[in-house]
Amino acid sequence: MESPRAILEVEGLKKYFAIKTGVFSRISGYVKAVDGINLRIFPGETYGLVGESGCGKSTAGMTILKMLQPTGGSVMFKGKDVLAMGKEELRNLRKEMQIIFQDPYSSLNPRMTIGEAIGEALEVHGIAKGKLRRERVESILKECGLDTYHYRRYPHEFSGGQRQRVGIARALVLEPNFIVADEPISALDVSIQSQIINLLENLQEKFGLTFLFISHDLSVVKHIANRVGVMYLGRIVEDAPKKEFYSSPLHPYSQALLSAVPSMNPEVQKKRIILRGDVPSPSNPPSGCPFHTRCHKAVAICPKKVPAFKKVGPDHYASCHLVEEVI
Amino acid sequence: MFNEKGQVDAVSKLQTPKRDTELRQVWRHLRRNRMAMAGLIVLVIFLLIAIFAPFITQHDPIQRDFGRALDLPSEEHILGNDWLGRDNFTRILYGSRISLAIGLISVTIGMLLGVPIGALSGYYGGRFDILIQRVIDILIAFPGILLAIVVVAILGVGIENVMIAVGIASVPIYTRLVRGSVLSVKEQGYVAAAKALGIGDARIIIRHIMPNCLGPIIVQSTFQIATAILWAAGLGFLGLGAQPPDPEWGRMLSDGRQYIRTAHHLTTYPGLAILFMVLGFNLLGDGLRDALDPRSRKYK
Repeated sequence: MESPRAILEVEGLKKYFAIKTGVFSRISGYVKAVDGINLRIFPGETYGLVGESGCGKSTAGMTILKMLQPTGGSVMFKGKDVLAMGKEELRNLRKEMQIIFQDPYSSLNPRMTIGEAIGEALEVHGIAKGKLRRERVESILKECGLDTYHYRRYPHEFSGGQRQRVGIARALVLEPNFIVADEPISALDVSIQSQIINLLENLQEKFGLTFLFISHDLSVVKHIANRVGVMYLGRIVEDAPKKEFYSSPLHPYSQALLSAVPSMNPEVQKKRIILRGDVPSPSNPPSGCPFHTRCHKAVAICPKKVPAFKKVGPDHYASCHLVEEVI
Repeated sequence: MFNEKGQVDAVSKLQTPKRDTELRQVWRHLRRNRMAMAGLIVLVIFLLIAIFAPFITQHDPIQRDFGRALDLPSEEHILGNDWLGRDNFTRILYGSRISLAIGLISVTIGMLLGVPIGALSGYYGGRFDILIQRVIDILIAFPGILLAIVVVAILGVGIENVMIAVGIASVPIYTRLVRGSVLSVKEQGYVAAAKALGIGDARIIIRHIMPNCLGPIIVQSTFQIATAILWAAGLGFLGLGAQPPDPEWGRMLSDGRQYIRTAHHLTTYPGLAILFMVLGFNLLGDGLRDALDPRSRKYK
């Protein structure tokens, strides 16, 4: 796993939320939303982070940007430790790392024009003011498939897809290198989804962006990502290059997820793996392997021992007792 | 893949015509509410009276005329005279200046103190929030008028002190209200986006959060002006507010009380004036609350 050119390296990142009960707000437990994840993303790459809802994907994205204070672990961005940064350094980091949100409705301030919403960051960071600011905003609007006259419009005058374009323009206006795309298309109509995906791909090529693409849609990730990480209950259970992941997933959870993706070819009979039950509560995760309660391959050791996150192939990692480690 | 919320929002956007500002929508809804318009008209009349009082009556509100003391309503003195022979109608007209000033100034004081405290308390949370809210709990435990009496007792009697007292007494209400709105608005995606863009807390509160908390503040202020006028009249009635010879309605009520058997016009008309002004603000506030709530606005 040693390569110095990674733009983002995450090691053992943890984010626990305290559960407080009673009059005196005694801490009675923790929700382990992110429980020790490792990531490595290379420049120009798209890393697809997938998992069921509630598995901690979004929390992981927010914690990497230090929008949430992590409980433990480290985040290195371009060789600098994000978590050790002071206020001023963190402010400068915002110019390099940005986020696109899932819900295009709540992510735009209803009382700000599009121009203000996008241009505000330019002003705050002292990059551009007045006429220059307007020019910068208009050029980024055009890059994102909007028109310059949208500058004076309010968010309620836009459709969901257009709003998401505004959200993308806002994230790009500071010219960042790395973007966390937190389910950027899951709130949109299917017909709009492909437009936004194409836009993200074009922008990636044009500006040399690196994406952490968070999604629960395996077909979209298959299209856009270079590498895939599967999260379950706050942990990454499998991490592999895209081709390898889709052709030979090794973790039983990944296998179950992939068996649920609808096929384009009705002739092919796929064996569907049905997962029993619900995702266990992250405040009280199962003992041993967190997936053993729902795993179709579980054996005696699974509830007893947490499987290590080990190398199971060249550039392929998984945490399962049933998979052999290769060195 | 299919987001229900997105769908619903898209449909509702179709119903409202393009380029329609929120202000215009609120006004359109308000105009259709008869009670609110009645309240607004009453208030406009009071405002005109307060501005043009010297042109409506040729009498002086504090000029005594002992020969005509306690006269019943007549052609020259349409609402009669008080025990010092001052024209009752004129005093009520000038009294609207005092009541409106008390209402507006004390609510402004309450807002200037309560809104920032509530906003900071809601935005930062934690120990600071707990501390502020416990202090507010203590203040809310007093009935508003009692709190105002305590403050007047400390500051001394007089109309300026009444404004300050009533203002302070309305601080806890604003603090609670704004804190609640800020708590819900700060969870919105655009606040997270602003943070991710490196925008400072002060700017986030002023530019992103407060503009989206304005609705409840406007509605509460309308009601709060009515309450302030009532509290001020109560303080005046108790002799803690405006001092003679100022024509303050509450004071006029308490002074006229002893002549109620022979000259009821000294209590009836100032009482009606208070009633109508408070009613006006309350009706308008009710209407504004409906008009500013997008849910009640859409389906009419």
